[in-house]
Amino acid sequence: MSNIAGKAFAMNLITPIERKQVKWNKVAFWLLTPSKPRNFLNWFTKRLGPRFDFAAKLNGLITLSMIHYARWVIVKPEEWPHLGTEQPREDPAYAYQLFFSNFNGSWAQYVDSFSAGIPEGLDGLWNKNVGWPTSVPQGPFHDYVRHNEVWTNYYYSAYPMAASNDIKSSKRLRNELLDFIDRSEKMGAKEFQREYHKLLSSLQGNPNPDFTAEEKFPCLGQMAPTPIVSLASVAVRRARVEIRSVEEVHDAE
Amino acid sequence: MPNEAGDAYGLTALCPIKIGDDQKCSFASLTRAYLQQMQETRADEDSPMASVPNTYLCRFFVLDNVNYQGKPAVLDSLKSPYLVFVAELHGDRDTYLEGMWKRAEPMIREVWKHCVGFGSVVTAEHFVNYIVRCQVETTLYFNGSTDDPLREQLKALYLQQEFSKFAFASTRKSAEDLQRDFRSFVARTRPHDVARPTWRAGASDLANVVVSGDESENS
Amino acid sequence: MMSTDPDIPLDLHDIQGNIIKAYNREDYVTARYVLYQVTDGAKGREFLAELLPYVTTAAPWSRESAVRAGNPKPPVTLNIAFTHQGLEALELPAASLLTFPQEFVSGMVKRREILGDDGKSAPEHWDPVWLKPVHLLLWLNGPGRPNEHVLDEYHGMLVELAKKFAPGVECLSGHRGEDGAERDYQSGSALYDEDGNITAKEHFGYSDGISNPFFKGTGANPNNVIGGGKVTRESPDTVEGWEPLETGEFLLGYKDEAFEYPEAPLPPLLARNGTYLVFRKLHENVGSFESYLDETSKHFEGGKEALAAKFVGRWRNGAPLATHPTEEEANGLAARWNQAYVSMKKAEADHDDGAYATASNVYADVRKELVAFDYDQDLAGGRCPVGAHVRRVNPRGGLEFGRSGAFASRGALTNRRRILRRGLPYGICRDRSRDDGEHGNIVMMLVASIRRQFEFVQQQWMNYGNDFKLGNDKDPLLGNHSDDPDGIDGRMTIESTPGSGKPPFLCAGIPRFVETRGGAYFFVPSMTALRMISKALVDPT
Repeated sequence: MSNIAGKAFAMNLITPIERKQVKWNKVAFWLLTPSKPRNFLNWFTKRLGPRFDFAAKLNGLITLSMIHYARWVIVKPEEWPHLGTEQPREDPAYAYQLFFSNFNGSWAQYVDSFSAGIPEGLDGLWNKNVGWPTSVPQGPFHDYVRHNEVWTNYYYSAYPMAASNDIKSSKRLRNELLDFIDRSEKMGAKEFQREYHKLLSSLQGNPNPDFTAEEKFPCLGQMAPTPIVSLASVAVRRARVEIRSVEEVHDAE
Repeated sequence: MPNEAGDAYGLTALCPIKIGDDQKCSFASLTRAYLQQMQETRADEDSPMASVPNTYLCRFFVLDNVNYQGKPAVLDSLKSPYLVFVAELHGDRDTYLEGMWKRAEPMIREVWKHCVGFGSVVTAEHFVNYIVRCQVETTLYFNGSTDDPLREQLKALYLQQEFSKFAFASTRKSAEDLQRDFRSFVARTRPHDVARPTWRAGASDLANVVVSGDESENS
Repeated sequence: MMSTDPDIPLDLHDIQGNIIKAYNREDYVTARYVLYQVTDGAKGREFLAELLPYVTTAAPWSRESAVRAGNPKPPVTLNIAFTHQGLEALELPAASLLTFPQEFVSGMVKRREILGDDGKSAPEHWDPVWLKPVHLLLWLNGPGRPNEHVLDEYHGMLVELAKKFAPGVECLSGHRGEDGAERDYQSGSALYDEDGNITAKEHFGYSDGISNPFFKGTGANPNNVIGGGKVTRESPDTVEGWEPLETGEFLLGYKDEAFEYPEAPLPPLLARNGTYLVFRKLHENVGSFESYLDETSKHFEGGKEALAAKFVGRWRNGAPLATHPTEEEANGLAARWNQAYVSMKKAEADHDDGAYATASNVYADVRKELVAFDYDQDLAGGRCPVGAHVRRVNPRGGLEFGRSGAFASRGALTNRRRILRRGLPYGICRDRSRDDGEHGNIVMMLVASIRRQFEFVQQQWMNYGNDFKLGNDKDPLLGNHSDDPDGIDGRMTIESTPGSGKPPFLCAGIPRFVETRGGAYFFVPSMTALRMISKALVDPT
C-alpha cells in the first residue's frame, strides 16, 4: 500500500464513460496533444473562443509544474486485453478512462490546485465521465476522486528526493555548467571570476512570462527528502522499517 | 503515437490475473501480497526496479474491479482482476522491456506468475511480446519533466546538489582561489561523465545518494 | 470574474471580537493568555456561563465622542477558545465531536512533524503548560503604559471568578516566565521605543502585522481591500486590482473561495460564525539573528539594513522591497506613515472629528503604499527575493509566474492559503548578543481550515521551497533550519537584478532564528455556540 515514493505521489483514477461519448472525449484529448503543429492549434482554438482554448489550459498545467508525468488512457469495452481461453472475454457496460499521475506535494495540494487553477481544463477532460460532478465546488469533486481512486500497491521512483522542478532545473544547470567549463578553460583568473558571476546570475533563475519562451528555472536550490505529506504514510513507513530491522536481526541469527 | 512525449514513453499494461485460488488465497490476493511485501521489505534503492535501466517512475497495483457510481449508473463489472503495470520510461519500449527482463527476471516471475498466459514466458522476447499483448494505448501523455535518459537526469541532479554546495561555499574567494577550486570541483564531480560520480537510482536520503567516482554503477 | 453575489453583512454581535478586530490597532497593546483544564463538565459549563457576559464581540465600538451609549470600548477585552479535548471535557456529544477535522482533533503536538517542530522546537522543549491537558484558552487584552494595571486588575477578577469552580476547573501553570519560574499565564505586550512610544515592532526589529486579509461582510472601509483582498488582473495600486476574499476562508458557515461552505462540525449552529485559532509561542534568537546579519552583511552591498530587508521582503520599518527598493525611499515612506499615525491619534485624543476624518484619509493613503503591490514587475526577485518571508507566506498572484491567464484566477493558488494574524510580542530582549531569555512573539492565526491554510503555509511555503522552484530551501527568518551539520543547510539565494551580470548574494549556514515554545489548536465558537455549550444545548441530531 503505497501511493508515495519520496517527493512523488501516485494517483490512479479509473472512471466510466458512456460508450457513445468516447469519441467526444478523444477529440478533447487530441486537441490537447502537444505534438500537433502549434499554429494549427492556435488557429483552431481561436475560432472556438476562449472556452475552448485548450492550449491555454495546457499552459496552466505547465505553470503548475507539479507533475513528473501524467497520462489518460481511454479503454473502450472491446479494448481490454484478452490473453486466451483461460480468460473470459470482457464485456463491460462502459468505456473506462484511466488516469495515472506522478505529482509532487500532498493529495489535497494537487487536487485543490487543479480545481482552483484549471477547473475548465479538468471539466473538458472528465465531463463525459459518468457521475462527474464538475471540478468546482471542491467538496463533491474531492468525493468523486476519492471514490474512484485505486491505491497503488508498489510504487518506485528513481529520484525520491527530486520534484519535477528539480529535474528541470538540474538539466538547465548541467547544460550551462558544461558550456561554462568549455568556455572558461583558457581564461585568466579575473576574467574567470567575471564570467563565473555571470553564470551564477543566470542560474539564479528568471521566469519568463511569455508562454512560448523557455523559462529559466532557478538552479541553486538544494535537495533533500520531502517534508512529510501524510502522517499516516510516515507511520506506515516506520512500521515497515521496524519489520525490516527485525527481519535483519532474524537473518543474523 | 500518444504513448510517447518526446523520448519519454508511457507504458500501460493491463495483465489479466487467473480466476481461482491457491487453495487458501485467490491469485489476485497472492499477487497483491507479493507487491506489498516488495514495498515492505526493501529500501527504494534496493528495489529490483532501481537496476532496470531508464525507469523514471513505475507502479504496480491489482485492479479487483471497476467502481459502481450509484444510480442512475448501471452496475458494471470486469470478469477478471488485472495486474496493472504503469511505467514512465526513457526510450524505446522493447529495449526497455528487454532490459527489465535482464535485470529483474526473478521479480518479474514472482509478480506476473498468476497472470493468464504468463506461464509460457521464458525469454526476454517472450516477455516483450507478453507485455505488448497486455498494453493499452495512451490517449494523452503529459510530460511535465524531461525526456532525457535516466543516467543524464541522475547526473544532473547530482551536479545541481554539488554545484549549489560549491557556489554557497565560494562566495568570498579571490579570483585565483575561485578558479583553482572550481577546477578541482570539476575534477571531482566530472560533469561530462554521466556514469560517475552521480546519484544512485532510487536513493531516498542524503546519506547514501551519491555514487562516488570509484564505485561502478551498473544502471 | 466580477462577483455578482449579494452583500451578506455579518452578525457582528455573534462573532468573537478578535476575529474581526486587530486589538493592538485599537490600543489594546498588552495581553494575558490563560489556560484551563476542565475535569468536571458541569462546572466547566457553569464557568463558561459566568464568563459569557464579558466576552468581547466584533460589534463596532462607539467612539468616545459619540453621544449615544451604544457599544463602548471595554477597558479590557475577553475571548474564549477550546481545544478538541476541551470540548470533550465540556461534554459535547460524541456525534458532534466526531465531525471536527482530523488536525484539530489531533492537536498541535501530534502534528509536529507536519509543522517542522523538531530539534529545539520539539514539544519536549516547550513551556511545560502546553504538554498538560489544555482545554480552554482565555485571552485578555488591555491598555499599555501607563495603564497596564487595568489588565492586571481584570486578570485578578478572572482568577477570583475561576476559584469558584475549583475543583473541576483548574488554571494550568507552567508558562515559562522571565526568571525561569513557571507562571499561571503568558503575557504579551507591544514593544516601546526609547521615547516610550508604542511600536508595531517585534524583537528582530521588523514592523509586524502590516498586511492582513480583507474579507466580505465585516463592514470595514472598502478601500482596505487594496493589499488585503485577493488579486485581480488589474493594477495592484487600484481598488480594481483587488477583490474581498470570501468570508468562508475565515468564518465557518459562509461561502468560501472554493464556492461552497467550508468543512464544519455539526450542528450548523455550533459552527456558524466560529473559526479556528492556531496559537504559537515563538521564541526569537536575537543574538543569532544580529550576529548572522552583522557578519554576513559585511560583504553585502547596502549593508545590514538592506540584508535584513532581503530576508523578509520588507524593510524593518515596514516598507515593501517590491515598490521601495532603496533604503532612502523606504525611510521616506516610514516617516510619512509615522507622521500620519501621530496626527490621527492626536485628532482622536482631541475629540476633533473633522481633523480625525482628514487625518485618517491621509493615513489610509500612506497605508496603501505599504500594501499595494505584487511581484509581477519583479518576477526574478531582483528587488524582493523569491524566497523572502513575505513573498513566501503571501505570493500575491506570483505563483502564476507572470503568465497572465495560466490559471482561472490570478490568485488561484494563493486565495485559499490566507491567514488572519493577531497576537503580540512577549518579553523584553535585554541583551541583543544572546539567544536566551524570554522574548518572542505570541502568534495567533485565525483560519477556517487549520490544515489547508496554516499547516500548508507552514510546511510547504516556510519549511520547503518547491512551489517557488527553490528546492528544499526554507524561509530564511522562520524556517526550521537544521542544527545538524549533516542535515540540509540553511540557505537563501538573494537574486541580483536580472541582466546586471552581478552574482546573486548567497547566504549559507543560516541558523534557526525562531523556535517554537508552545502552542495548540483551538476552536473559537460564536456567541450563540458559547451559550449552547454552556447550557449543554449542542445536539447534532
